[in-house]
Formats: sequence, structure tokens, C-alpha cells
Amino acid sequence: MRATLRGVLARLRIQLEPSILVLLAIPLFYYTLFFLAPLGSILIYGFGFDWNLILTPHYFNLAPIGAPYFVSTIHGVHILVLRGVDLGVVLNSLVIAAAVTLASTVLGVAVALLTGLYDFPGRRIFAVLAFLPLLIAPFVNMYVIRRLYGYGFELNTFSWLLSRLGIPFGIAFDKQAGVIFAQTLAFYPIVYVNVVAALGALDATLVEQALNLGSRGFKLLRTIILPLIMPGILAGAMLVYILSLEDVAAPIIFNFKNVMAYQIYYFFQSVAAGVGKPYEAAALSIILLLAVVAPLVVVRKYLSLRYYARLARGAPRPLQRIRLGRRGLLAAYLLVLPIAVAAAAPQIGVVVLAFAHRWTGPLPNGVTLNNYVQLFAMPGAFRGIINSVEYTLASLPLILIIGFATAYVIARLHLPGMTALDALATLPLAIPGLVVAFGYFVFLHNLFRATLLDPLVYPGVALVIAYAARKSPFTVRSVYTGVISTPPELEEAAKCLGSKRSRVIRTIVIPLVWKSMLAGLLLSAIYVLSEVSVSITIGALGGDITSPNHAGPITFVILRLIQAGGVVGGTQPQAVAAAMATILMALEAIVLATISKGLLRRGQALVSF
Amino acid sequence: MVEIRVEGVKKRFGKTVALAGVSLHVKPGELFAILGPSGCGKTTLLRIIAGFEYPDEGRVYFDGRDVTDMRPDERGAVMVFQNWALWPHMTVYDNIAYGLRIRKVPEDEIRKRVKRVLQLLGIEGLEHRYPHQLSGGQQQRVALARALVVEPKVLLLDEPLSNLDAKLRLRLRGEIRKLQRRLGITAIYVTHDQEEALAVADRVAVMHAGRIEQIGTPEEVYKYPRTLFTAVFLGKTSVLRGKVLRSDGDYVLVSVGSHRIKAMNCGVKEGDVAAVIIKAEAASLEPHDGATPIEGDVTVSMYIGSYVETRIAVNGQGEIIVNLPPAMRLQPGRRATLYLDPNLVYAFPYEAEEIRELAEEA
Repeated sequence: MRATLRGVLARLRIQLEPSILVLLAIPLFYYTLFFLAPLGSILIYGFGFDWNLILTPHYFNLAPIGAPYFVSTIHGVHILVLRGVDLGVVLNSLVIAAAVTLASTVLGVAVALLTGLYDFPGRRIFAVLAFLPLLIAPFVNMYVIRRLYGYGFELNTFSWLLSRLGIPFGIAFDKQAGVIFAQTLAFYPIVYVNVVAALGALDATLVEQALNLGSRGFKLLRTIILPLIMPGILAGAMLVYILSLEDVAAPIIFNFKNVMAYQIYYFFQSVAAGVGKPYEAAALSIILLLAVVAPLVVVRKYLSLRYYARLARGAPRPLQRIRLGRRGLLAAYLLVLPIAVAAAAPQIGVVVLAFAHRWTGPLPNGVTLNNYVQLFAMPGAFRGIINSVEYTLASLPLILIIGFATAYVIARLHLPGMTALDALATLPLAIPGLVVAFGYFVFLHNLFRATLLDPLVYPGVALVIAYAARKSPFTVRSVYTGVISTPPELEEAAKCLGSKRSRVIRTIVIPLVWKSMLAGLLLSAIYVLSEVSVSITIGALGGDITSPNHAGPITFVILRLIQAGGVVGGTQPQAVAAAMATILMALEAIVLATISKGLLRRGQALVSF
Repeated sequence: MVEIRVEGVKKRFGKTVALAGVSLHVKPGELFAILGPSGCGKTTLLRIIAGFEYPDEGRVYFDGRDVTDMRPDERGAVMVFQNWALWPHMTVYDNIAYGLRIRKVPEDEIRKRVKRVLQLLGIEGLEHRYPHQLSGGQQQRVALARALVVEPKVLLLDEPLSNLDAKLRLRLRGEIRKLQRRLGITAIYVTHDQEEALAVADRVAVMHAGRIEQIGTPEEVYKYPRTLFTAVFLGKTSVLRGKVLRSDGDYVLVSVGSHRIKAMNCGVKEGDVAAVIIKAEAASLEPHDGATPIEGDVTVSMYIGSYVETRIAVNGQGEIIVNLPPAMRLQPGRRATLYLDPNLVYAFPYEAEEIRELAEEA
């Protein structure tokens, strides 16, 4: 049955009302111009790179020099220092990402199964501990991880605690091993929340049927539960893999700069001085893109809106938790709890540091509010806050428009190509931030040179555009879930009463999905505020924080404070950074709590990035 | 009053054929029911008439005007949905007034018309409630009021009563029938409930597997089925296999095992293998003029209330289902003689494949 041309045209006329055309044009225009085109510009720059160099030891080093670990004695305590080896820029990134993904997945799945399947005294403590690292404190958490578990002239907190307990041995993480350790602590909760959401979407009858047929314990886990939640595990693992590849915080703090992300970041450090190597940055961006896209193709369906919507709606009847036996309880408290505490400690440490005079040795000293005073007293710091508020307020209308238009069109328009639009709208979550930053830089700097869009002239506009592109997926996903959980008959009823689509959207759709729009917008807002990659690269082009008129946002200020030495305003700059980070964490906590309590039925699934 | 014509409409969803060429003609002011099992394509057909789906082939006409390429909002056909689709964020009043506001009717006039339709449907006093504060029956009436208040050219009802309990369904179907008559609106009523279709409609289209099997008045389609499907689908029926011994115009004599059954001739000739379809009410325990006696063993006897559903095994030829008055209840294991009214027994050419499918659907 071949559709006639007349039929195709009539069908298009029926579906593509003017209001739908406008909605469709918005994401197509925005994502093409401000997402695909910048990524495309990277490819063009990639041609300038001498690709023969890529196999040299600088990028791939299969014969590393130096010991992966050694023993050092500090204040009479023998410390096992895990350091790792330098395998070259490209291989280091891949090895770190693989190790972090594996460790985070094991840990995240273990904690999620424990809290999701079993009921036992203290279960909520585990859940809270696993949730804490999701409150992002950019750079500061890595700084605290280094204080707690890192290697330096002084004992780290953990080894110091052991020595106080009379144990003369300790452990410290440094360089590559430090990056792997720190990223695992920071990212494993992403696997945790995704698995918890998958468990929440699991239909209890499927498990009860297996129990009913006699399946128990590991067999039940292996044959029924794990296969059913595998999509959640894969989605979480994939996100961790991407975050590890794009992370610059751990490499900066643990002083391990031979990774792709740091090298691209370094380009921005030198570009203002006119000595940046754009071709190398482009080449590394392309390799990073390939490293992400290849596995992404495998798990793509788990990162699409459809998968997300299914999770967000939850199961018809959720699982009843099983009471944990005595042996299980022992394992939970002896094996899992220490790890969960170790992983949550940095978040607590950030808060402690924010109220401390200084923290250079094993423990912080003194209690003060001066760090918060400095946020307002230091012109550079206060300027960062103002900048972030301005950029966020400017990007939110864009995010709202893109988010609603994209979600509505994907949910309701039945035309070929909608799957591609779905992929395009989810893609910003998957592309490493530094690649995006580099793309924006070469695209805007070359195409709009010496205009307000040129980041070297004023980074603010570029930041707002980039924020809207990178963080709109949170709004898109939330609105999408809202729209598809609204029966289409509600819109059809209005249409057959004579209402045009624009009126249907205004009078039926928006009043029914406004909560999803608000939830998405709040999420987007906190992720814009805590955005790192674009903020510390393009944001750094507008002057340093010593200037009261710099154009950098909060995360840029935090990074500079973390990197600063000595004492600023009578306090340790890292402590001021911590104070700033606690404000971000508080905002994140408020938004996440609001969303999971009131705005959406199953908010947990929202926290997947 | 609008006349609706559907010509050669075909529709596929991927590899599934939803409509395999459907044509029908609904007369002005008629209540036309589309009846069929789930998945037969009846809702798809209704949605094509409403404009929510576009046919792969074929056209739809309202009063001779081709509306196939028109959007739903341009057609003037108002639909009442199975889930009623009341807007949860609007009060009953706002739900009903919505269509009038689109038509830019002055608020004064809207008030009057909403009041009138509320009275018409017996739901005065609910204006300020929200849909979640209403019972199922009230919601159904509001949905109907919302459709009727705009005085639509065409009213499309998609299983409007299927979400209600049995008693309420019975009452509301009568009300819908009365209202439609009174307002003179052309209406199409989709349902899978044959009793409902036969009770409300002027004419019924029986649909099966994306095709229309038969169109006619309720009595025509029930008593004079033209296809095997219609014969088996309508009413409670049993199917036996036999061989046509003799044909004399309207009736045939079919041998089923050692029995000879007289049936209406529905396209068989002497020597054919025939499917003998017996309606449950064809059988009685009293001999009467022209009735065919048939003997068998009672296997099941289920008390349903107003009758006893009884299954009788006919000498290895299959089972006959009959409805008997409770006073004549037969115990399982007993031997019984039934008398079949040949006007409710039909002989169709035997098509093994189709009968197997029908048995599965039943």
C-alpha cells in the first residue's frame, strides 16, 4: 500500500499546524546552530593536527616508567602510596574511565541492591550516604578527598585516624590512582540512583512469580533481578564513564595532567596568551568524542527520552523489601557501610572546611564564619556569584522554550525523524563538556570574531548559549515525561471541539504539565549553576578573579580559589571556595527535595547526571 | 443533519492491517453502531472519521463534501472518548463551556446553554466540581454534555459506556438513545458489546479483522447473518460440522452424525460440508412445529439467574449451548432431547481456519 503524494501532503498539512512548525523549528535551529555546528567545527580543526603523532608515547605509552606504588614513612607511620603509572594522554584517560566505571558500577549496584531490596535497621542511613555525593561541590570535594585520602607532606586524615587507633600503617592515593579513587567516590552514586530507579520501576509480580517458583538468593538475583535492572545499570555506568572522561577536577587536584580533558582545558589556559595549540585540542576532542560515541551506540536506547519516561513513571506495584538476615546485616555493616561512609565523607568535609580557619594537616582548625563573609568581601568572589545568577537567569527562558518545544514535538508529532530528534535532544548529556567548550570556542571565535558572541570579547553570551544547550536535556526529559503521561485524548477532545493546536497547548497542555516544566527548569537551573567544563574554560576568558569585573561564574571562582596559595582576606582560599560550594550544595538539596517530594511522583530517576 | 460516507478506507500500522478496505454510509440523523471484537479496527475507523488518523487509502465525506484532508478542528465532528477525556484542571462548567468559548459565543449565552445541557443530562448542580470529584456516571454525562452543547454536526462515541458498571451502562445507553433521537444528530457509536449495539442503534455494522462483515438493522444482522463471522459472533452460539443432504431454497437439511438438522441456507448446496451455527435460544425442551429434534448428554449446567446455561454433547459431534428456564434445569449426566427452531440455525460453507479463529476469539 504505497502512500500517494496527495496523501503525504495531506498528512503533513494535518500534522504540521503553524504552531507545531514553530515548536519543531526551535530545537532544530538551536541544536543545529549551537550544538552540532560547534562540534562540526572541531572536526575541521582536527585536520590541522599531524595524526602521525598520536601513536607517540606522549599519547599512548605502553612502556611506562616508575612504580605504581611505594611505601613512604610520615611521622613514623608507614603509608602505602598508590600512584599508578603514566600511560600517555589518551591511554590514561581511557584506563581511568574504565577503572572508575567498573569500580563505581560494582559499588553503586551493591548499595542500590542492599537498600532497594532489603529492609534492615539503618537502611535509610545507607540511602542518605549514597545520595550525599550527588550534591555537587565542584573542585572542593576533590580538594577534601585529597585531604582525607591523598598524599602530601602531612598524614592524610584517614591514615592519621588509623595511627590514633594505634595502627602504624596507612594508605594514600596520588596521581593516577588518586584520580581513579576520587572519581569513584564522586560518581558511584550515579549508578546507585539509576539502579534504585530501575528497581522502583520493576513490577513486583515478576519477582514474586520467581519466588513462588522457588527461586531464592543469588539465583533470583542473577536470573531475574539483574537482567531486569540491567538497563539502569548500563545507563548509570555509561554516565559515569562520560563524567570520568570529561572530569578535570580530579586531574588538577591530584596533579595528574596527562589526560585528555586536562589537555583541552590547558588549551584555554594558554589561548588568551596566544600560545594555545588548537589542533592538538581538536584532535583530543575528536578522540574523546569517539571514545564516548562508540559505547553510546550500544546503550543508546537507555539514554533516550523513552527509557527515561518509563523509569520516571514507575511500576504498577513496587517491590516489597525483604528483611535482611543476620549474616546479610553483618556484611552490610562491615563491608558496605565503611565504603559508603568513606564516599560521603568528602561532602561532609566540604561543609566542615567551609566553617574552618584552615585545613592543611590531617584535621581542620578552628571555627569561623569568615569564609562566608569573604564571599561578599572579596570582589572577585562576589562578582562570580552575580555572574552566575545573571547567566542562569538568562539561560532559563532559553531552556524553557527549547525544553518544552522539543519535548512536546517528540511526544506528540508522529513523523519520521522524531527518534533522531530524541537522540539529538539527549546528546548534550553525553558529549564531554570540555569537547563542547572547545567546540563553542572555535565556532564562535571564528564565525563571530570581534562581536559580542566571540568568547574572547565577552564570554557571557557564549556561556549562556552553551548552558542552554548542555542543560536543557533535564527540562526536555521532565516535560516529555509530563506530556506522555497525559492522555492524548485530552488534547484530541479539545481539537474535535474546534480548538487549534496553539490553543490546545495554551489551555490544555501547559496547565497539565506545568509541574513537570517547573521541575525540569529547577533541575536545569542547579546544573547550570554547578556546571564546570564550559565555566572554567570559556568562563576563564573574561579575566581572572583578581579583577572585580571578571566574567567568570561561580565554578570558575571556586577553581581559582582552590588553586590559590597562601592566605586571602585572613583565611584559606580553599575554605572560601568550600563556603561557596556549600551554597551550591544547599540549593541542589532544596531543589532535589522539592522535586522528589512534591513536583513529580518518582523524583529519584531525575538525578541521573 | 449530516450524512456520512466512508469509501474504501484502508489503514496499516507498521505490518498490522487495521482496516482492509471499509465502506459505509450513515444516513442523516441515524444512530449507527460499529460492533466488533477488540482489535477489529472499529476505533481506528472512528478516529479516521474524526480526523485523528489519516487513511492510507480511501476517503471520508460529510454531506458529500470530502473531509479526508481536514483537521479534526475543521470537521465539526465531536467525539466522546472511552475514558471521557475530561480536563482535570477545569471545573465541569469550564469543561462544557470550552467548545462554546472557541466558537466565541458570548458568556451570557454560554451560561444559558451550559445550564440547558446540564438539565438535559440531569447533572445540574455539578458546575463547580472538578472531574475527580464526580462518579463514573456523572463524568460520562459531563463528557456527553461537553460534546452536545456545541450542537455538533456529527457525534462520535467511542465505547462511551465501557468504563461503567453493568447497571449504569444499561440506564445510560437508553438515555443516549433518547437524546440522540431528540436532538436529531447523526451519531456513530463504537462498541464491542453486542447487546449495547443492538439496543441503541438504528443500524449496525459488524466488523471483523479490518473489514465490515454486514450492515443492517439490529434484527437483520442478528436474525439473518450474511457471513459465518456475524452468525457466530452475535448472540451465544454453538458450531457443529455436518454434510448438506438436501437443499430446498431457503432451508437445507444437514446431517450431523446420526442427526438431521434443518437450518437456514446461507450459501451451501447439496454435498457441501457445512458449519451449522445454532443460537442458544434456538433450542427448547418442548416439541413444536417445524422443530428439529436432537439428542445428547448434559455435560454442564450453570445457573446464571434468569436462565440456566446448559451444554449438551451431541454424540461426539461437539457441544450445543442452550439457555433454559431455571424451572427446566437439567442435571449433568442426563440424556436430553432438544428441539431446534430452524429459523435460528444457519448452515454456512465450512471453513476450518475461520472457525478455529472464531473459537479462539470467543
